[in-house]
Amino acid sequence: MTTDRKIAVMLFILALVYLILSYQLPEFPYAIMDSDVLPKGLGYLLLVLAIILFVESKTETEGQRKKRQLSKADRNMLLMVLVLVLLYVILLDTLGFVIVSILFLIGTTRLLGYTNWRVNILVSVLFTLGLYYAFNYLIKIYLPQGILPF
Amino acid sequence: MEILSSMLYGFEVALSWQNILFVLIGVFCGTMIGMLPGLGPISAIAIMIPLSYGMNPASALILMAGVYYGAVFGGSTSSILLNAPGIAGTVATSFDGYPLAKQGQAGKALAIAAIASFCGGTFSIVALMLVAPIMADVATAFGPSEYFALMLLGLTAIASLSEGSTTKALIAAVLGLMVSTIGIDGQTGTPRFTFGSSQLMDGIDFLVIALGLFAIAEVCFLIMGRKQNLLGKASKIGSLKIRKQEAKEISGPIARHSVLGFILGVLPGAGATIASFMAYLTEKRISKKPEEFGRGSLKGLAAPETANNAACGGSFIPLLTLGIPGSGTTAVLLGALLVVGVQPGPMMLQDHPDVFWGVIASMYVGNIFLLILNLPLIPFIARVLYIPRPMLISLIIIFCLVGVYGVRFNTFDLYLLIAFGVLGFLMRLFSFPAAPFILAFILGGMMEQSFRQALTISNGSLSIFWSSPVSVTLFAVALISLIFPLIRKKGHNKSEQEGVKA
Repeated sequence: MTTDRKIAVMLFILALVYLILSYQLPEFPYAIMDSDVLPKGLGYLLLVLAIILFVESKTETEGQRKKRQLSKADRNMLLMVLVLVLLYVILLDTLGFVIVSILFLIGTTRLLGYTNWRVNILVSVLFTLGLYYAFNYLIKIYLPQGILPF
Repeated sequence: MEILSSMLYGFEVALSWQNILFVLIGVFCGTMIGMLPGLGPISAIAIMIPLSYGMNPASALILMAGVYYGAVFGGSTSSILLNAPGIAGTVATSFDGYPLAKQGQAGKALAIAAIASFCGGTFSIVALMLVAPIMADVATAFGPSEYFALMLLGLTAIASLSEGSTTKALIAAVLGLMVSTIGIDGQTGTPRFTFGSSQLMDGIDFLVIALGLFAIAEVCFLIMGRKQNLLGKASKIGSLKIRKQEAKEISGPIARHSVLGFILGVLPGAGATIASFMAYLTEKRISKKPEEFGRGSLKGLAAPETANNAACGGSFIPLLTLGIPGSGTTAVLLGALLVVGVQPGPMMLQDHPDVFWGVIASMYVGNIFLLILNLPLIPFIARVLYIPRPMLISLIIIFCLVGVYGVRFNTFDLYLLIAFGVLGFLMRLFSFPAAPFILAFILGGMMEQSFRQALTISNGSLSIFWSSPVSVTLFAVALISLIFPLIRKKGHNKSEQEGVKA
């Protein structure tokens, strides 16, 4: 089965789930068009489009297949960055913006292959402090302070 | 005369020292981000949006518009110097720009690109200024059924004009509409698809989608291509001088594509990318020496550069006068406007003339800044390309995270951002265009609302949608735009071969 056909099947299932949820929406008696009309329409539309995609994509050219292929190294790198981003989000509220951002910047930059530690640390610290200052004092968007006193 | 006094008013707004500063920041950052291969104008705007929180609407739009046309302007630099187009709208620029750079004439190519961009941009601002008030007048007569038809046309047009499979583009649009249904329904108060989560009650913020589907997804591709060494490929810039004869040569294409580019920009779905390709192919077709194209033809460089900037100005017409974006980029601009509390549309001319005329006037100022940034200062600015990729990637990620966090101050949105980032990456990997998704997401709520308003007027009868000639025409064009790709497919192989040669 071609990749596009697999995607079509997944979209078909997604459309079904969405439709089931749409049919469970509560009714509102006084509306000319209730809130479930659009979702239902969209659900059926996606069903139809998924079928069209399935029928259309009988074959796959070599070029398409190549474009989709991720090398193992790339995939691992993407996953590692994803983990770092998740860690960032999890720790943001507790440790605070400044600490997490500096650590994230240094770590990610190194992970992606930049080896000059001095520049890396300098940029990470200055950038984070600059951004923190700009948000908290210039545009008054308060980023999480965390365990730092300022 | 009325336009003249309005324009004077606009300049009054645009020339306040604050707004001059914002235009400068906008075009400067736009040029920088546009220049970086991989990050498009949508990411550029989305990354800059947090800056506009708390600004007055006129300044916010002036800044954001500056980022947009700055990105289109700046995208040409990396097309010429590195053969790595900064944005999709400048891909055609690289066809002749890069060969020129390889011949040691990068300076000349950059100068021509800057002048062509300036001319295209300036022409489109003049046209925007003249056409927009007329359009706004016409649009006041539009009722909800016409609006609905227009938005539908916008979606089908962008789907049929996107690269690759129209089915996939339509799927992307439907998914965007589906995501827009999440949250409390404005009319009935019914929570839809919130799964009991209070965080989803207000729906998903558009910045989450814009940054996720575009910026984060683009970052993923930057990560995959992080080892590409751009330094070695960059050639010396050389002299910026253009000879008289060369100026004469490019004046024709500049004049033609200012007009054509503008018109393509106004039309829904088209925009800078399509305008630049059309310009390139037209010039090649009418040229007496088509064999020069692809080998450093000045005409082949000037045409797409004029067209993409003219299209950029043109795309503001539907946005400002109808309140309906015709492209992914203007959809994000609309989102930015809604954040600061302005609903663009025909009433904006009366309710917020400062925004309307201020932003148009600021574009003149912005284009002059761009000319300065991109001509004498280009050797300095091009240094942004030397920032090490790993550093750049991590900085962009932080920008995205902070921008989203600043909307509602909760980490739930950040998880959503990651989820949409993964979705955007997968969509790109499997060739689903993301622009229809964001446009549909922004239009979704508005479409449902106008559909309901129309039904309320007609007391529930669907006949209202074919009772007005305007909406019938719009529906017909929408239908044609869906059938059009089927016809195009037959001639596809032929044009593809041509594209490879070009």
